[in-house]
Amino acid sequence: MNETHPSIEQIVDHLRRELPASDDAAVQTHLAGCVLCQERRNEEVALTQALRAYAAARERDLPQSVAAGIRNAAAQRESAESGGFLRRLFRPAFVLPVAAAAAIAIYFGLNGRHYPAQSTAVEASFYVDNHAAAAAAVPFSDGEPIPATLTSSDEAR
Amino acid sequence: MEQRAFLERAMEQYGKATYNFAYRLTRNEADASDLTQEAFIRVFRAWKSFKPGTSFRSWIYRIVTNLYRDELRRRKTRYQEEVPPPAQPIEEYIESHLSEPVSKALEQLTPEQREILMLADVDDCSYQEIGQIVGCSVGTVRSRLHRARGQLRKLVNRHTNAPS
Repeated sequence: MNETHPSIEQIVDHLRRELPASDDAAVQTHLAGCVLCQERRNEEVALTQALRAYAAARERDLPQSVAAGIRNAAAQRESAESGGFLRRLFRPAFVLPVAAAAAIAIYFGLNGRHYPAQSTAVEASFYVDNHAAAAAAVPFSDGEPIPATLTSSDEAR
Repeated sequence: MEQRAFLERAMEQYGKATYNFAYRLTRNEADASDLTQEAFIRVFRAWKSFKPGTSFRSWIYRIVTNLYRDELRRRKTRYQEEVPPPAQPIEEYIESHLSEPVSKALEQLTPEQREILMLADVDDCSYQEIGQIVGCSVGTVRSRLHRARGQLRKLVNRHTNAPS
């Protein structure tokens, strides 16, 4: 603002509420007492009103065809995205590892659940008892004690 | 779907304003329709990037402005030079003759000047909002707006005082 009157830019900024508070107050005070600046302000207001009237006369609704076009494009994009997702889901590069992982998980899952892991170590006594049982099926002579283990002399006999 | 609801709400609240903004830029219905449609499709695609609490109007106007500039670059000429405006309905004809000085003056401004004037005076955007839309600082918006208004004022006076 110069010493006497605010600039036209300041008047416009004042009308648009874009001035800092202190400058705005100064312009407001000046305008209240200056007929010349009031006229300049009114000219700016009239220019804005003319622009608004010009725009209002040409204002139109969004055409239905445009709204329909937007909705169609959105629907197409949605279906393309869901189709794309399914295609990605059934790609061999994706399906094979997933199927393999699923098979492994099912296999170990079932075994783990129904057949708990057991120790495969066989105790020595099993062989002894087994052999004793097998030996018992062999017709030893009656009355002879069943040998606990076979020896080379037993086999020879 | 959330994305679809977002689009519908955006169209309901800003469809008309966006179309009119595009129309003021392009000054013909076909290009305004194309710009509006493409802008809303981009909004639909990028809906998650919209931050609640920010101005949706600034966002979509920015999209329209960028699309318009891309199109201008692509065509290497201005819309109004390539595509003649369609025949005006009678009410528009009458109105345009009533506000002929403003209409003629606007025609003589550059598209950038018209854009900034319309954003400031018709859409009542703040300088900050205009800066976001056209991609420049608040200071640049201020100086461009004052220059455009000065030019418009001069042209309106010339057309008002010109013998018909």
